Amino acid sequence: MAISEHIPIKADTDVLAARQKGRALGLQAGFASIDITLLATAISELARNILLYAREGEIELRLLHEGGRRGVMVVASDQGPGIADIERALQDGFSTSGGLGLGLPGVKRLMDSFEIRSLPGQGTVVTAVKWELR
Amino acid sequence: MAGNPSKQPDPASLYRQALESYLREDSEAALLDAYALGRRLLNEGRGMLPLIDIHHRVLAGLLTGVSPDRVLAAGHLLAESLASFEMSLRGFSEANSALRSINQRLEDELRKIAHALHDESGQLLTCVFVRVDQARKELSPSATPFLDEVRDMLEAVETQLRRLSHELRPTILDDLGLGPALDFLAQGIAARSGIGIQVEDRVRQRLPPAFELAFYRSAQEGLNNLVRHARATRARLALQSDSQHIELKIEDNGCGFDPRQAGSGHSLGLLGMRERVRSLGGEMQIESKPGAGTTISLSLPLPAGGHYGAGTIAAG
Repeated sequence: MAISEHIPIKADTDVLAARQKGRALGLQAGFASIDITLLATAISELARNILLYAREGEIELRLLHEGGRRGVMVVASDQGPGIADIERALQDGFSTSGGLGLGLPGVKRLMDSFEIRSLPGQGTVVTAVKWELR
Repeated sequence: MAGNPSKQPDPASLYRQALESYLREDSEAALLDAYALGRRLLNEGRGMLPLIDIHHRVLAGLLTGVSPDRVLAAGHLLAESLASFEMSLRGFSEANSALRSINQRLEDELRKIAHALHDESGQLLTCVFVRVDQARKELSPSATPFLDEVRDMLEAVETQLRRLSHELRPTILDDLGLGPALDFLAQGIAARSGIGIQVEDRVRQRLPPAFELAFYRSAQEGLNNLVRHARATRARLALQSDSQHIELKIEDNGCGFDPRQAGSGHSLGLLGMRERVRSLGGEMQIESKPGAGTTISLSLPLPAGGHYGAGTIAAG
């Protein structure tokens, strides 16, 4: 059922492709224009993290149907250094976001659900979903 | 004004390029550029308004022969450039409510400490009084002057403890409001420090409880700070309001300091005061110079309509 796209993230231009696909799926999921913008924002932040910390990885985008509701799932995965302290990584002010609420904490706030799994030395998988507003 | 210190191209021309390209071909690259530009400006500590200003200037320059759907497209690009601000704003709102609940928890703790100080130490002191009286009877009359002296000192301790516990959790604040509570606070601190503290209440009305508490705690922090650091002989608390704001000023004639260099030490207290008023949508300003005293102004926005929200009473 699910439409799924895997976009390798190795360079800035891949971020473009991921945002574009995300936008297309947001449109199919019936998102309002502002929510599509915020979905693209979340994708950018996740892709940025992959490039910054793992250098390469992948973003999977999937259109969801659940109980008559549509949504877009974003799965960002990499085999980079991983995150030793996930709780800290989700606090504002950790590393790059400098207390402005960007990066992972920002993504968490923009999406309806957010899950992160990481093992030091093994990599990181972030799964986040945004649902259509009804 | 002073040009661009970094090597980054200036925001207006970056935005213009992105907008022109987006209006020409709806490209994702243009949206990403706009997003990145907004993120960069946010990181550099700039607000949203310059971005909106840039948007309108650039758009106005392109408007001849632009169709309505292109104007809408321009709106998309603007939204994109502001997306990181939206993300950041959500974080700040969350931080704000966290701050409020921390303050609430702190108040609960203070209430417990005040209770312990007042009731438990009070009981212990009562026992000591009884023992001193017993000793007076048991010991020879020559000991009486010493025991009287001990009793006087114990009474002073009891008064201090009672005062401190009231200041920690001032029931007077709940019962009579901010003005009388500030009077009480000022009297206590003046008596302990020898600094003359004047209180001027031009509001004389009840405020929302969160406002009263924020001002009371700030005044407490501010006065304790100035006792410790300001080497002042006089201080003044002034409460006043206009139709939109209510303001508390804490002034002293002490040694002053350079607000930009308030690195450690008492700046932690200042930070706490600032965060306390910010969590209620207010602002704090410090005017001070070495040698020229200090004025701290805390301002809170009144709820729409200018009603204070808690009814009015004649504070006595």
